[in-house]
Amino acid sequence: MAQGQKAPAMNDPRYGAAGEIAALPEAKLIEILKDSSATFFAKAKACQRLAAVGGPSAVPALAALLPDERLSHYARTGLEPIPDPAVDDALRSALSRLKGKLLVGAINSIGVRKDAKAIDALSKLMYDRDAEVARAASAALGRIRPGA
Amino acid sequence: MPTDETLSRRGLLQRTAAAPMIVPASVLGLAGATPPSDRVTLGGLGIGSRGTRDLQSFLAQSDVRFLAICDVRNERREAVKSMADKKYGNGDCSMYSEQEELWARKDIDAVLIATGDRWHAPLAIMTGNAGKDVYCEKPCSMTIAESRALAVNFQRNGRVYQAGTQRRNGINFNTAFDLARSGKLGKVHTLHAEAGPGDRWPPATTHAWLPEEPEPPKQVVDWDRWLGPAPWRPYNSQYVQGKWRGYFDFHGGGILEWGAHTVDLCQWAAGMDGTAPVEYDPKGMGSDTPYSIECRYANGLKLVIRDKGFMGLGSCAFRMEGDAGFVETADGGKVEVPADLKSQAKDATREEAGEATTRHVRDFLDCVKSRRPARANALAAAQTHIACHAAYIAFQLGRKLRFDPATDTFIGDEQANRMRSRAMRDGWRV
Repeated sequence: MAQGQKAPAMNDPRYGAAGEIAALPEAKLIEILKDSSATFFAKAKACQRLAAVGGPSAVPALAALLPDERLSHYARTGLEPIPDPAVDDALRSALSRLKGKLLVGAINSIGVRKDAKAIDALSKLMYDRDAEVARAASAALGRIRPGA
Repeated sequence: MPTDETLSRRGLLQRTAAAPMIVPASVLGLAGATPPSDRVTLGGLGIGSRGTRDLQSFLAQSDVRFLAICDVRNERREAVKSMADKKYGNGDCSMYSEQEELWARKDIDAVLIATGDRWHAPLAIMTGNAGKDVYCEKPCSMTIAESRALAVNFQRNGRVYQAGTQRRNGINFNTAFDLARSGKLGKVHTLHAEAGPGDRWPPATTHAWLPEEPEPPKQVVDWDRWLGPAPWRPYNSQYVQGKWRGYFDFHGGGILEWGAHTVDLCQWAAGMDGTAPVEYDPKGMGSDTPYSIECRYANGLKLVIRDKGFMGLGSCAFRMEGDAGFVETADGGKVEVPADLKSQAKDATREEAGEATTRHVRDFLDCVKSRRPARANALAAAQTHIACHAAYIAFQLGRKLRFDPATDTFIGDEQANRMRSRAMRDGWRV
């Protein structure tokens, strides 16, 4: 229990509390992401757990949430640490489909992963009309090619 | 009458660099006051209970002028403004709800950051990159990656950074260091750092969410900005009232809570400010207390992070053991040594021990003026936090980890390497 916590914690009617979701295997976590009846809470917790246990099979379900206004960051939370090039492919592919802050988030994740294959796309985005996007692309390029 | 802005230390230095100027004696402080040219102008970001203690130490310094508070909570903006205005007998303290407004103030030299942990590293980095010197409360980062970014950014931007690890300037802790460095303990082989006692600061954090409550108006609490780089979750008033600790998204648990101080003391005492241990072996898993993480540096020196087993000298206990003796001290001020070393180890009174924050603030201000690295500079803070995060990761995984401090990488453990960073919310990055 967290410091001073008095109220009961949130849970999902089907998948339970955070601890129960964290104990699920990867396949079940992916199922939550695809379940239209699962709550935002359950999907968020599944994404966070996939950051620890997700592999290539989790990438499509996580990537499908990148355009979701509320879950996009959680999807990136799951994707960023997965050591598989499928994540880089998915993030690069999302660049043409995302806009605004969700696009900024995807660019930031590409920078964290230092995906050299994204250099061309980021070089174009560095001149995007959205200043936040342009700044993010510039920062990501700096991470991929420090000193360039 | 010139305003503080036109006569700030920064402004005067800029102008005098271009041309000599003649100023009245009062401006030079000849009447006994600190002249504006020697004054450090300060702003605050997120000043709650601990931040108020820091701010009191700053306000007590005659060469500090606190000019503005930025906070996402209106009640904190008002409270801090009231504190500053009362001190100066005016109504001049500015209030902002967005940090960009504070950064835009060219007359502010330095910023005190005392938000929750989730904001510490990104805010410190952005504030430093905006040209301000930074005093930032601990724990200074949420991840290994944030810790490294902190060190790299401050090395690049050249700003002075002081972590709020004030025990580096604590009289009794300094006595212990001096004793070890004098060789009186013989060859030091083991360091002990108290982690937050598990019954008060459990090492593990929870992924739970509190139930949703109606979100207050943005001008009362800007919930989105309170969360900042942390994952979005529904509003609950308990979080913003200071009960955010213990939640994984906002807090590093008991190891970071006190390790930020005590592991920091070990790093400093051992002369390891540029590195971190290479092994982390958790013991006593499965309960909040007792527990320990036995660490080893590349040169063989042991560091034991544990929550129990100290001599009861107060919180944040720190102990060094050598082949000729030991020294242990804590917040109570007493310095315990073997009988033959008693004459070498003077206790600090409780009052003297309690002056650590003021001494630490003074150290920061002196470094703002001299441009020397502060005692708890960004690199030192980063390495301490990297060690603490690595220990916490070993604790969470429940297995011994090997770590390469040159690359901030765990050797042969993919799952541990995944835990070195967390995706920041859209729009934030370090």
